[in-house]
Amino acid sequence: MSYMNNPAVVMDNGTGLTKLGFAGNDSPSWVFPTAIATAQPSNAKQTSSNAVSAGASSVANTGQSSGSGRQYFGNSTSATAFNSLSSGSALMSNNLAGKRGTEDLDFYIGNEALIAAQGPSYGLSYPIRHGQVENWDHMERFWENSIFKYLRTEPEDHCFLLTEPPLNPPENREQVAEIFFESFNCAGLYIAVQAVLALAASWTSSKVIDRSLTGTVIDSGDGVTHVIPVAEGYVIGSAIKNIPIAGRDITLFIQQLLRERGEEDTSLRTAERIKQEYCYVCPDIVKEFNKFDRDSEKFAQFVVESQEKTRRKVVDVGCERFMAPEIFFNPEIASSDFLTPLPTIVDHTIQACPIDVRKGLYNNIVLSGGSTMFKDFGRRLQRDLKSIVNNRIVQSEYLSGTKSTGVDVQVISHRKQRNAVWFGGSLLAQTAEFKSYCHTKKDYEEIGPEIVRNFSLFNMV
Amino acid sequence: MSQSLRPYLTAVRYSLEAALTLSNFSSLEVERHNRPEVEVPNTSAELLLQPMHISRNENEQVLIEPSVNSVRVSIKVKQADEIEHILVHKFTRFLEHSAESFYVLRRTAMPGYSISFLITNKHTESMKTGKLVDFIIEFMEEVDKEISEIKLFLNARARFVAEAYLGEFVY
Amino acid sequence: MLQLQPQNLLVQKTFGEAVEAFRDGNPLTLDRIVSDFDSTTLHISNAEGNKGLLYLSIRTRAWSSVQRCGSSGGLEEFLEAKYKTQPGVSVASTVESGYDYTLEVDLNVLQPESVVQLSLIKTLVLSYPFQLAFDEFAQLSNTPDSQSQTLHTVQYRDDENLFIKPANDRITAIFETAFQDETDKVFGKVFLQEFVDARKRNRAIQSAPQVLFSHEPPLEIQAHLQANRTLDSSRRFVTFVLFPRHFQTPELQFSTISQLTLFRNYFHYHIKCSKAYMHSRMRFRVDSFIKVLNRAKLDDEDDEDEEQVSHTRRTITGRKVVY
Repeated sequence: MSYMNNPAVVMDNGTGLTKLGFAGNDSPSWVFPTAIATAQPSNAKQTSSNAVSAGASSVANTGQSSGSGRQYFGNSTSATAFNSLSSGSALMSNNLAGKRGTEDLDFYIGNEALIAAQGPSYGLSYPIRHGQVENWDHMERFWENSIFKYLRTEPEDHCFLLTEPPLNPPENREQVAEIFFESFNCAGLYIAVQAVLALAASWTSSKVIDRSLTGTVIDSGDGVTHVIPVAEGYVIGSAIKNIPIAGRDITLFIQQLLRERGEEDTSLRTAERIKQEYCYVCPDIVKEFNKFDRDSEKFAQFVVESQEKTRRKVVDVGCERFMAPEIFFNPEIASSDFLTPLPTIVDHTIQACPIDVRKGLYNNIVLSGGSTMFKDFGRRLQRDLKSIVNNRIVQSEYLSGTKSTGVDVQVISHRKQRNAVWFGGSLLAQTAEFKSYCHTKKDYEEIGPEIVRNFSLFNMV
Repeated sequence: MSQSLRPYLTAVRYSLEAALTLSNFSSLEVERHNRPEVEVPNTSAELLLQPMHISRNENEQVLIEPSVNSVRVSIKVKQADEIEHILVHKFTRFLEHSAESFYVLRRTAMPGYSISFLITNKHTESMKTGKLVDFIIEFMEEVDKEISEIKLFLNARARFVAEAYLGEFVY
Repeated sequence: MLQLQPQNLLVQKTFGEAVEAFRDGNPLTLDRIVSDFDSTTLHISNAEGNKGLLYLSIRTRAWSSVQRCGSSGGLEEFLEAKYKTQPGVSVASTVESGYDYTLEVDLNVLQPESVVQLSLIKTLVLSYPFQLAFDEFAQLSNTPDSQSQTLHTVQYRDDENLFIKPANDRITAIFETAFQDETDKVFGKVFLQEFVDARKRNRAIQSAPQVLFSHEPPLEIQAHLQANRTLDSSRRFVTFVLFPRHFQTPELQFSTISQLTLFRNYFHYHIKCSKAYMHSRMRFRVDSFIKVLNRAKLDDEDDEDEEQVSHTRRTITGRKVVY
């Protein structure tokens, strides 16, 4: 069969960002917001449509010329495609095709959607909420454009690896299968749980010796942080815990600190750049404050904010360098309603799991997502968690009078952390066995959508 | 609406109204069970009533199978050609997928029919019978309309796509 | 998105980023697979030890059959001629193993225009047989009565072929298509019929190539096909008749070729789009049916008031007594 030689397509559709790419690559080919801009129904359709699409394309073009590294795109947007059509709209016979409209073809996804939505004629929407697909119509079209425009693949020739959040209802899987097999006729489909892929991604770290699928995944994106225990490739759903602190909260916290100090520029963008470029996790917050007091070298960091190279704004970066990520470990400094530190949550999660797997879960704590990228984040987490665990051991030894064999706590950071889920998918999908794990179109036609309720696990030893 | 459709729907409406006289009925065979009698193999013939078969033509038929506590309504939707056949199949699958919120929908259609409903005495107790009949009649009307609209759409789209493609060759 | 674009966005993006990063002084380490329609895989990688040098390799299903269209080495010469003029692009001395053709790209001198050309590599490979046909047409048209025996066959998918036949007044391009999916087959028939009718109906596109559609192989290729294999009934033949006005200038030639080579992808893309649209209509309709059904429900509040007064009895803990 022809699809056997073609690389599998790995798609990770998250609440905020979508990662698209091919198996075997070390990073996703496209990363853009999971957003879709659809044409707004307009009353004066005939008269406005020409102006509208011309306007949209000019918006798109200016947006792109200002975007760095995208200057080669000028002639390849779908806006121009529609534009060229409407300029030749006299060509179109004024029959059904004209009247019925083709609104469903007129949409943009990703960054282009954000640009198009600035114009009056498009409305922006995010089809995924809290990790789960909310609007299937939009999602179907989002996929359609991802496949044909951005990846340029004929889905009949490729296998697809998609991801889903833990505790995704099986009905949603069936919906996905229906879309992929019936609309796109894809050759094969595998749906993997994100946490499991994040575990697989950690195999690249030198600390990982046995390639097991047991471990605790801390997945922190923009909106929410999950702590997910996985045993032998299966998610222990009852023990999953969510923390309402994630990337966005850190950014907002930095912004708040900047405002309190009365900095010149306190936009969200600046705060975000400070977060990405300057923040790190310190071992002890009091000592770090002292260090900053003594050593002005650390303190005098600043961002040069230049707007179109004309005006420059200087923003001092001080203690927020280590204060911002600290809200994971001392949430009380930023939030009033959520007060449990991350290490405690991780400990609770593992304690809620069956006793047989707890050692494995402590031993393999894997980080995933952009908000775990702070320097020394893993080290701090490991230290705090170790002290919680050791206290418990000491106490139980005292109470029972027996000697414990000890619990090894190990937090694993690796270089693929940011797109860990996608990378894990890429890793698994490039293996020779992957295609045999996929459900094929033929299987689907024989058994129906319920076939995707079960996928055999990768057993990689 | 074509001439023969009105009497067809009227016939279905009256037959349904007559059939939807259901009462609670405990199973005679299994203690403390209450089963829709049309759905189970039945030894006591008095529980099942005479099925009604209403046919407009060989493509459009309705079968109403009443019993003491449940009625099964099976509808055969018009499928004139391959395209309509595919569309009806797709559409009924979409419906069956959301059977959970459809209460009266039977998850699989009776053999030979496109879609089946199973109305039990529980349903007639919690819903207005008249509205329930309205629903089924409206369903029959709308499905036909929808299928033919989609078919029109397909043709229109194909035409649009073909013209757009060939338009690129005009210089 | 209505039209598919001939250039590969991802190749453009990757090279764009590579150039940018290189100019900023921290060159990217690249080892990327990129794909294109019809079993085409591209590979972008660094030269060993030199971050300013990239390799772009292509492997495509059609390669071997395209190669057979011309004389030996003809395709490579054709591509080399196309890329020679682009600054920073040259043909690599060795072809990367597992791929059909490799280009060497020097980031120091790469221009945006060359990046576009790089992203068109697949289209350029497929344009070779067309170019041969154009050349032969030019010869044939000088001698009115001549007949050509040439038939270029491009096997661009495992079971689908493209035939190109030059004559003295026209060039015929015939797509042999097969559908794997039953639904696609039915929808495809509707679409193909419209392709045939579009030109007759709409005066504005009268000058477009004539399109014919048949189950039987057209006369031009019949002899060739029968010699090769038996036909199964699911095959369709779509014929495009190109007149000289479609390939008078190199620009016209290029746009005709890129449009034609995307025919199958365009056609399948739109079948998929219309399926997606149908699905969204059906979802909407299902929801509206549910609304109608919900209207039939008795109002819960009235219901409870009546029942609680007359029928419901509660235990001392407040539980309902169920009979």
